[in-house]
Amino acid sequence: MSTTTRKVVIAGVMGAISIFLGVTHLGFIPWLAGAALTIMHVPVIIGAVLEGPLVGLVIGLIFGAFSLLQAAIAPTGPADVWFTNPLVSIVPRLFIGPVAWLSYKALRAINEALSLVIAGIAGTLTNTVLVLGVLGLYHFLPWPLIGTIAITNGLPEAVIAAIITLAVVAAWKRIETGRKSSAV
Amino acid sequence: MSKVLEFELIGHVTIGQYLPTGSILHRLDPRAKLLMGLLLIGAVVVSHSLVGLTALLLAVLVGLVLACVPVPFALAGLRPMLPFLMLLALLQVFTIPQHAATATVLWRWSILTMTDRGLLAGILLIGRFSVMVLGLSLFSFSTTTTEFTHGLEHLLRPWQRFGLPAHELALIVNIAIHFLPILAEETERLMKAQASRGADFGRGQRNFIKRARKLLPLLVPLFLVSLQRAEHLIEAMEARCYVGGKGRTHLIHLQMQLSDYVALATALGLAAFAIQLSITHADQVLWHWIFMNR
Amino acid sequence: MIACTIPLIDVRGLAYTYLRGTPLETQALRSVDLHVYAGETVGIIGPTGSGKSTLLQHLNGLLKPQQGQVYVNGISLSDPHVDIRSIRQRIGLLFQNPEDQLFERYAGDDVAFGPRNLNLPADQVRERVRQVMEMVGLPFAYKDRLTAELSHGERRRLALAGVLALEPQVLVLDEPTAGLDPQGRRELLHILSQWRVKEGRAIVLASHNMEDIVELSTRVYVLVAGQIVLHGSLRDVFSHHDILTQNGLSVPIAMETMLMLRQRGYPVSINVLTAEEATREIKALLYV
Repeated sequence: MSTTTRKVVIAGVMGAISIFLGVTHLGFIPWLAGAALTIMHVPVIIGAVLEGPLVGLVIGLIFGAFSLLQAAIAPTGPADVWFTNPLVSIVPRLFIGPVAWLSYKALRAINEALSLVIAGIAGTLTNTVLVLGVLGLYHFLPWPLIGTIAITNGLPEAVIAAIITLAVVAAWKRIETGRKSSAV
Repeated sequence: MSKVLEFELIGHVTIGQYLPTGSILHRLDPRAKLLMGLLLIGAVVVSHSLVGLTALLLAVLVGLVLACVPVPFALAGLRPMLPFLMLLALLQVFTIPQHAATATVLWRWSILTMTDRGLLAGILLIGRFSVMVLGLSLFSFSTTTTEFTHGLEHLLRPWQRFGLPAHELALIVNIAIHFLPILAEETERLMKAQASRGADFGRGQRNFIKRARKLLPLLVPLFLVSLQRAEHLIEAMEARCYVGGKGRTHLIHLQMQLSDYVALATALGLAAFAIQLSITHADQVLWHWIFMNR
Repeated sequence: MIACTIPLIDVRGLAYTYLRGTPLETQALRSVDLHVYAGETVGIIGPTGSGKSTLLQHLNGLLKPQQGQVYVNGISLSDPHVDIRSIRQRIGLLFQNPEDQLFERYAGDDVAFGPRNLNLPADQVRERVRQVMEMVGLPFAYKDRLTAELSHGERRRLALAGVLALEPQVLVLDEPTAGLDPQGRRELLHILSQWRVKEGRAIVLASHNMEDIVELSTRVYVLVAGQIVLHGSLRDVFSHHDILTQNGLSVPIAMETMLMLRQRGYPVSINVLTAEEATREIKALLYV
């Protein structure tokens, strides 16, 4: 049974990791044409999977608020100007946790490792689709370009998030994954 | 004790710094400041009136003066963004969907068309961003992280009746802020330990999957160690009978003074003004006046 | 004929300042000289903040000397063309609480991390993993166990195995027994002394635990505020117990006991490092 204390602490710690990944270059994996694949949303997914949708919502809020701040303080590219708008940076991120948790819960009975992978993918896609969606509605970017970005950025990010989510949660909860033994 | 939030410096970093100048603004109730900040963000987001944004910008500049913050120092916070800002503004100017019927074309050169709406969009972009950055800087210059957390909690408390966990949320923010330096330490340790075993964390690796996997020796232990520490904190808190915010009493009580209400009222007025203008299209008048008197 | 040996590690005049040029700068090391020869175990003792970790991190090139030189097998680490990976293979550094760095799901994979980074073929990797696991007292079958399910002591030995798998010449250890129960500590020290027996190897051991230092070291350096204030053979260094206590360091419990007895007027020798020697002295007292 997850107590308030657990939820509060996990939310705080995962929120801190999200901020930390954003502040240091760890959160950015360089990708095509100067853009980067980011992993700052992964703590949101992991927090949601471990402690539930509410915790995921709060961590998403922290992630979003921080990305707004970072866009304003130490911007790394033109896109950061858009992220000073909370509708772009905060609101979409609120959904990452709950979506990830739902996917995890739904598939857990079938195969826990699989549910972690899907949670990682679903959470990331939520982030990609909603953020790009808002950018499109604001006419900051033309829709065809948005579609391209969603695929060239969104899909690789989803894969990476799935890999990390699986590695961390499987180790933490001592879950047996696909491979039954060491590769050595 | 205030803490300076440190970020990687790509130029002047003004948000996150606290300047203890003891001005009137510093002494305002943090709740008032938080609300004013929210009003500012809201107004900036909603308003597409140039006049409104200018009013907000002036208000923020006045605020900086009242806070005894050297204005050039605060403006320096905008400097790193200037090139990107210009680029994006130009993008907005030339690519915003042209509703040909209502737009007045100002200038044309081969495929580039600049309409008045486009120009407005570009200027608004710059304006919004500047107001946001200066406003957030002003907030952090005049508020310590402790004040921020207290203010946040007090503000959210009335909603506890409706189920909003005000105390818990403020505590979460607190835990996150204090965990950051621990993360920095652990990451450094882990990077060094894994590098000592020949890890290279995927530098120069093209394949993004391979690159992600090369980061696992750093990321996985980081999460695991953090979760372990979280468990210790949970145990420590429960050992002290922490049960959350229900029925919890408080050591510090914030009192709103007249000055707080005055400041809040001013902010409210300004925000309303800025939003009003965008609704009534007062800008149109100004625009026409500028472009018709050619 | 004096045997002329090149030290495996040669540190000369090493100085290092953190955050140089900022208002937060701190000088961690001021002109440190240190040598490590094959076949010996060098202990480094010093109070917290003395610069031990900074010094250790220079030995495998994690930190580059700001002033002075660090030579590994005659190769200067300040040389911009130095092959840092080969240095890190030769100098194996084990941090404090190394079990924190385990990241692979299965124990065997974590040990294999180092050899895989050396791009060794799979069969060699497997062979190395088997050898080092057995060296640290973990059955090879443990390779298929979940890392998270091993006991604390087993995980520490697994982390050690991970470094030994690189087949280094010098093992550099920072507080290797910290947090271990007495049994775990004894096992670890035994593993270390067995490892060093092989030709051409050396150990550098930084520790607060004087008993560890006594058990393994042949020579000791005393580091205080970034400087070597004392160095020499094990017995030599500890004979200066007044200098040690002045600088906030303790001496082995056996020696401390003898000092206390001396203070109360008992004619015991204070040149005592181990419990056995102390027992001998006390017996001599009782049966005189």
